[in-house]
Amino acid sequence: MADLEIKDLHVRIEEREILRGVDLDINRGEIHALMGPNGSGKSTLANTLLGHPSYEVTQGSIVFKGEDLTEAEPHDRAKAGLFLAFQYPVSIPGVSVANFLRMAINAKRDEPIQVKEFRTQLQHAIELLDVDKAFTSRHLNDGFSGGEKKRAEILQMAMLAPDVAILDETDSGLDIDALRTVAEGVQRLHDEQGLGALIITHYQRILHYVKPEFVHILMDGKIVLEGGVELVERLEREGYDQIRQEVGAGVAGAVAAGDSGV
Amino acid sequence: MVSEPDGADNGSLPTANGAAPVQVKAGRHREASLYHALAGAGAGDGRTLGELREAALKVYESSELPVWRRSGFWSTSLQSLDLDALQTSVDAHGVPEIVTSTLPERPRAGRIVQSAGTVVQVELSEALAERGVILCSLEQAFEQHGELVGAWYSKRLPIDRHKLEAANAAFWTGGAFLHVPEGVVVEDPFEIVYAIDRAGVAQYGRTLVLGGPMSDFRVQEYDVAEDFEGQALHAGAFELYLQDGARCRVAQFQDWGSGEVFDSSTRLVAVGRDAYCHWLPALLGGHLVRQHLELAVMGKGGDMAFRGVFFAEEQEHLDVFAVDLHETGPSGGDVHWRGTATGESRASFEGLIQIDPGAQQTHTYLQIHSMMLSPKARIDAIPSVLVSADDVSASHGGTVGELDETAIFYMQTRGLDRPAAVRVIVEGFFEPLISELQDEALEQLVRERIEQKLAAAREDIETYATSR
Repeated sequence: MADLEIKDLHVRIEEREILRGVDLDINRGEIHALMGPNGSGKSTLANTLLGHPSYEVTQGSIVFKGEDLTEAEPHDRAKAGLFLAFQYPVSIPGVSVANFLRMAINAKRDEPIQVKEFRTQLQHAIELLDVDKAFTSRHLNDGFSGGEKKRAEILQMAMLAPDVAILDETDSGLDIDALRTVAEGVQRLHDEQGLGALIITHYQRILHYVKPEFVHILMDGKIVLEGGVELVERLEREGYDQIRQEVGAGVAGAVAAGDSGV
Repeated sequence: MVSEPDGADNGSLPTANGAAPVQVKAGRHREASLYHALAGAGAGDGRTLGELREAALKVYESSELPVWRRSGFWSTSLQSLDLDALQTSVDAHGVPEIVTSTLPERPRAGRIVQSAGTVVQVELSEALAERGVILCSLEQAFEQHGELVGAWYSKRLPIDRHKLEAANAAFWTGGAFLHVPEGVVVEDPFEIVYAIDRAGVAQYGRTLVLGGPMSDFRVQEYDVAEDFEGQALHAGAFELYLQDGARCRVAQFQDWGSGEVFDSSTRLVAVGRDAYCHWLPALLGGHLVRQHLELAVMGKGGDMAFRGVFFAEEQEHLDVFAVDLHETGPSGGDVHWRGTATGESRASFEGLIQIDPGAQQTHTYLQIHSMMLSPKARIDAIPSVLVSADDVSASHGGTVGELDETAIFYMQTRGLDRPAAVRVIVEGFFEPLISELQDEALEQLVRERIEQKLAAAREDIETYATSR
């Protein structure tokens, strides 16, 4: 049994069905890439896995480490060991990065973390993510540049040490330096902590820095193609349209009217 | 000048120091603003304490309990107060428990505690006393330092605008007097405490603080009451005068507890030449609280930061009038308030920037931010600007916010449960001001009190959030 088992997941938002039967297994220590064109349902999957209240699961299940989380509260999923790096991280004025991290860490523990232990962990994460120490005393995401926000996401991921992290288009809008830092951070957390990751992306760029073992192509709410890293190369050559034609009538023409935010 | 929503006579407002009256176009502001700045209109004027008490008594006897009405908005009425049933002099039983359980334990320059009508504790470090610092009851100050006190007492505070103001001026006992002489710099705070330990008390608090030239100090006022059943009153008058080059940080922690405590108070801070004041009231509870808070820059080069936080809950009614008055320029002002309300409470914040003629090169800004947490609570923010000089900048802004569901989800994905996420948002909302207290112990006290109020309103907040 896989650590994270997604079975026949159907999800709708308001009256529109976005996911139409997704099956996906992810284990600790595995790096998966989920690729797909705009509107295919990538962000819907990410948000649903963490229990966003706007998304309604109409069928199927999300089981994590043997526990059915399909209807669980978002914070219980986080405590179970899931993490979502947001496509658009939210600013939390008035709360410093360090204080927020301490709260999040303590939320998962019975006893509050010792100051010294916290500092050591924070120092390690700061070095990993190549950020300035002053960064952690700034208010979380408040006035951060796009690159700083994404670094802050990975910093939180490093500190919270989830079993499986979902990275929702973490690569979008990043310059090459930031992209490299973020990607290397993910790779190192994988190597050092055994992080499992689902890297959701529209592009192939980030996959030059993090090597996925498993690649899944999502179209119109279903996974239509799965393979290894060679699938990324193929996608680079042929594009989504070619693949859409190949996987056939089942999905062709059924393009959801959604945009990239779906 | 008490309640004139129709503003028949507001064609001109009195100003201090014999300056020409402020010209106001008829009808321009009277709809929006109900209150007027004191604008230097003090009662002192060479009269003795006895004469002032007598004059105030006449006003008290001939007036009704006040009601402030503003058509289309709300009324603040003290008429449900059974004033005759309250007693001004009751036996004090030492320092009330609520004082020791609320006030932070840490180094302080001095402390004076008044329970009901009696001063029950006065404490001042000997080193400061040797340097000429005076901290004592105002009664004692009139006896021992009559000349100094008489020159400043009620200098800019009126005694006759309404019955409770008159009652304070006529009946006050105890009181607090603090004098920090020229050039004396004190790091630790002076604490002035007004406590009500039981129902049935009418407390008339009277504070006078003098900051001599180039002095530098902190004043913290604590207004606290035990949780009791029944009515009580605090009618307060606070005046603080900062002379040339003085610097002062004034904080006020107010939480009257769960009893039916009425608070009608006027507080004035006057900033002299090149002086500076940072003033931050934290108004965190009271059955019905009406505060006139006025920060007046009266000397060239005077500067001030006027902050405030409020949190109304349950059935509370809070009515704040905050004035940023500039009598001369160049001068600076910066007014920044934040507040929220839960339950069925009502909070009204009227902020006024008034720049008198001749106060050229004054630059000031007023901002008020409110956060809605509850379907039945209401916050009104009413900024107004009265400018009578042409080389100035004065503006105001504000926001009304609600809980951001995206932010809540974001924090939940980090393991915080919903109430914790709400707390982070609300504390983050207040944090820019709380951290300006620059006093870790007091900051912690304010944060904890806000946290308690949020916990108490948890269901209410949840209902509101999910109903949107």
